[in-house]
Amino acid sequence: MLRFTVSKVLNGAKNGPKTLTVLTRWQSDQAKKPEKIEVFIDDKSVMVEPGTTVLQAAALVGVEIPRFCYHERLAVAGNCRMCLVEVEKSPKPVAACAMPVMKGWRVKTDSEMTRKAREGVMEFLLVNHPLDCPICDQGGECDLQDQSMAFGSDRSRFVDNDFSGKRAVEDKDIGPLIKTTMTRCIHCTRCIRFASEVAGVDDLGTTGRGSDMQVGTYIEKLFLSELSGNIIDLCPVGALTSKPYSFTARPWEIRKVDSIDVLDAVGSNIVVSTRTGEVLRIMPRINEEINEEWLSDKSRFAYDGLKRQRLVTPMLRDSSGELKPVDWEAALLTVGKQIKNAGDKIGAVAGGFADAELLISVKDLLNRLGSENLCTEHVFPMDGSGTDLRSSYLLNNKIAGAEEADLVLLVGTNPRLEAPLLNSRLRKAYIHKELEVAMIGPEVDLRYEYEHLGADPNVLKNIASGSHAFAKKLKSAKRPLIIVGSDTLERPDGAAILASVQALASSASPQEKSWKVLNVLHKVASQVAALDIGYTPGVEKIRNGNLKVVFLLGADEGAITKEDLPKDCFVIYQGHHGDRGALLADAVLPGAAYTEKQATYVNTEGRAQQTLVAVTPPGRAREDWKIVRALSEVVGEKLPYDNLDEIRDRLEQVAPHLTRYGRAENANYFKQAAALAKSANLDSTPLDVKIKELKDFYMTDSISRASPTMAKCVQAALKQKEAKC
Amino acid sequence: MSQAAKTAARQVKPILSLNKEEARKRVLNLYKAWHRQLPYIVKQYDIPKNIPQCREKLREEFTKYNNIQDVRVVDMLIIKGQMELKEVVEVWKQKGHIMTYFKESQEPKPKDFISKFLAGVN
Amino acid sequence: MASILRQFAKTLIAPTARNAVALNAVRFKSTEPAEVKETRPTVRKADIAARAQLKDFGKYCADCLPKYIQKVQITAGDELELLIAPEGILPVLQFLKDHHNAQFSNLVDIAGVDVPCRTNRFEIVYNILSLRFNSRIRVKTYTDELTPIDSCNDVYKAANWYEREIWDMYGVFFANHPDLRRILTDYGFEGHPFRKDFPLSGYVEVRYDDERKRVVCEPLELAQEFRKFELEAPWEQFPNFRGANPASEEVDIKKTQK
Repeated sequence: MLRFTVSKVLNGAKNGPKTLTVLTRWQSDQAKKPEKIEVFIDDKSVMVEPGTTVLQAAALVGVEIPRFCYHERLAVAGNCRMCLVEVEKSPKPVAACAMPVMKGWRVKTDSEMTRKAREGVMEFLLVNHPLDCPICDQGGECDLQDQSMAFGSDRSRFVDNDFSGKRAVEDKDIGPLIKTTMTRCIHCTRCIRFASEVAGVDDLGTTGRGSDMQVGTYIEKLFLSELSGNIIDLCPVGALTSKPYSFTARPWEIRKVDSIDVLDAVGSNIVVSTRTGEVLRIMPRINEEINEEWLSDKSRFAYDGLKRQRLVTPMLRDSSGELKPVDWEAALLTVGKQIKNAGDKIGAVAGGFADAELLISVKDLLNRLGSENLCTEHVFPMDGSGTDLRSSYLLNNKIAGAEEADLVLLVGTNPRLEAPLLNSRLRKAYIHKELEVAMIGPEVDLRYEYEHLGADPNVLKNIASGSHAFAKKLKSAKRPLIIVGSDTLERPDGAAILASVQALASSASPQEKSWKVLNVLHKVASQVAALDIGYTPGVEKIRNGNLKVVFLLGADEGAITKEDLPKDCFVIYQGHHGDRGALLADAVLPGAAYTEKQATYVNTEGRAQQTLVAVTPPGRAREDWKIVRALSEVVGEKLPYDNLDEIRDRLEQVAPHLTRYGRAENANYFKQAAALAKSANLDSTPLDVKIKELKDFYMTDSISRASPTMAKCVQAALKQKEAKC
Repeated sequence: MSQAAKTAARQVKPILSLNKEEARKRVLNLYKAWHRQLPYIVKQYDIPKNIPQCREKLREEFTKYNNIQDVRVVDMLIIKGQMELKEVVEVWKQKGHIMTYFKESQEPKPKDFISKFLAGVN
Repeated sequence: MASILRQFAKTLIAPTARNAVALNAVRFKSTEPAEVKETRPTVRKADIAARAQLKDFGKYCADCLPKYIQKVQITAGDELELLIAPEGILPVLQFLKDHHNAQFSNLVDIAGVDVPCRTNRFEIVYNILSLRFNSRIRVKTYTDELTPIDSCNDVYKAANWYEREIWDMYGVFFANHPDLRRILTDYGFEGHPFRKDFPLSGYVEVRYDDERKRVVCEPLELAQEFRKFELEAPWEQFPNFRGANPASEEVDIKKTQK
């Protein structure tokens, strides 16, 4: 990675030598398709592009060459030597991960020489590796274990146990998430490369040489990054393991369920590992269009919040004003009576974790009762076309599309902490493709350099009118992106900002027709689905409606307070955590968290994805839409769906894209949206974001607020900050 | 013989009966044997059921399979039925085994949405 | 045993000259070139001499009973298996028991195997032992849920309980068995537990009911989640670099032209 930055500095940003890049993925789409060359892997012929490494060529014919240091998404280091293979007529074995193939090479991946080389490398690695697999958390999913099983020698020549013993390295303290056992380190430097290339935190490095070599943070320091958890997955041995997961389970006894993360609006694909009805850990699942194979720390480690402060039984507020547990029958009857009495004086507020099934069932129920008071907790400007056109509230150019951009304007957003995986894409483009980034808003640390255009929203107007210097850049950019944060649009002048951004976006001239300039970045998982289904953003209707019953669907962010509602208003809270919203409630209906239900979520790109049931809801909690369905029967407005298929059919009626899982439907009508937008005056109060620093990142919703691990992370971030000052 | 005809009339080894009529006779014989045994069952096992109830149960157990057409499947069921009858007649079974037929300790499963919801089953 | 087998060959060679040539050819093929020696420490070393003899014997059996023996194979290095048609159980076992030069008079075990994806989903495996020649053979046949298999109780008295066990565990019916009834499961038990489609936890649970003062039987409700282990070997990720022995090796029993 260093290579890239050095070359960038030396040659200037504009015409950096792209030929220096080592990853062929970058080359393939830039070079003008040179002729393919033929090589032979185990006598099987394969045509590859020049510059392909031996390892990649072997992968093309289905031969997986063992490796420790090589990783597809990181720069090539070539220091573990495990991938040595024999090449005919070459006197020495070559490192397959670093060696580009030459025409006519005959590579032997299973010859005597190759096997001997592997066995030798394995022996050297194991001489300096402790034999503590029985107490190592990586045991069972350890690359070193697996490969020594497959390629290692079946007996040891290490006899020096008594005299000098095995190499031992002191453990490092690099934070509350990652447990280090540095004696196990085999110096593959994957963590170092990840930290500097992807996370952009150049904290990790090596000191010493030979058997004194150590991986560490030079000085005593915590490795704090919003993506730090990924080095656990990258580590091929048990040197870096998860601290919260330590000593809890073995990989062969856990059940893995594919699911979707909902702690931010990116919708990262995850695998939930469970055992006996308990979520043990969360790991990323590869999805090239969303999260590649990374996962943000909040998504990865906040799962212990799923076990704390949970609502496990229905509760009703009794005459003394205390919430008392009751059974479902009593709760449904009481709530049903209140709803019946309220008639159409009823409203609902959807919080950040509400799934599409719940949203549609509540909407159907309230509509049947004659009410249209359906709101989301997070505000979105309703002037102009409002939420009628999907293009005005989606990340239209998709997350993967961010990599292709050559100019990005961030408006009042902090992608690093609001959507860490989008930021990692931007950073990747910044490093490998000379992306330029500019920012209107607070000066936050994005781990890459950007041009700060100030925090005044009027800069937008200046750019649009051409009086700002940035306007020229935007005009000339081939693939420009404008990313607007949802925080910005929640301001009173949000509509004006959106309007000017829409105008700005339509003034840009992207090279390709399909390139979408305008992008909105949401912060919560439910927002896009709620807007698709037809919820009104913002809680104005609830405040002004003089309502008798308010239904909070996990609304915990304090958009509604007791003061906003009439005295006799009956508040129903349905959700999974006893957080702020539950305190207001007169009746609490326990729902299921995202690991406990099969539910649809739509991410900020407008991509519908579904979570699957990993564990059963705790206690008497039930799947959310079923609660509403049961309630509807008690109220006497029976909803016409009894199972998941039927409610999905209903979803499809309302918005067909909601059940096309995995696909992101393109939005359109940018011009029309821009035309409808009313231009209004912008406030001159500077743009701001809620999450500015790492300490604000960890606890943003009811799950992460209940998580002890996240609390420790906040502590660590504060400590690190103090130490710096 | 053409391929199609071969598959249609696959030669199979009979278990007991060669045709439907024979199988039907065997079923009736088994039914009669059980029927004759019922008074002794009630007496020997001292079960809290009377003979008409047992007859009804016997009928139910037989009619459970009245849609079966394959002679060999019928034969298999006859064999198992005879085995059961022998276990009963020889008093190898105990009271609990006999009462299992009546399923009296089982509560009916919730069927409609709301009772399923309250019971917490899917 | 080898000398005996050689005698077989001689007696068979005698009749006509034409046959003799053919059989000689067979014998030539069977005496194989020196085999690759097993060097891996964890793999059991097969007895090469015994293996050659067993191969010859397998061919001899196939020659004697061409109607029934469909395949002869050597598994795990030096174990002989005769794969026969279900009609041939009695003749084959009778042959192996009574033939003067075989004398497999001891039925060690009958086992069942359920492979649901096959048309004939059950394999019935007879393990027989010749005390006279200290040799073992496995005879395998196949059936489905409804096809009865001939009971070999008349050949081996030991088969009685083994066949009852297979009837109980797999539901394979043995025709002409003197006393075919359950042997392991409880009276009134439904289903055949060794079938692959039978759940590990079963369908019913029994408990003592205090109210009724007797044992009651109810449909299963698991209070605790069933623990499932993922047993896929993680080192299977490099399939190209594993040199596993083939599970079985077929013996060539091409019928000699008469």
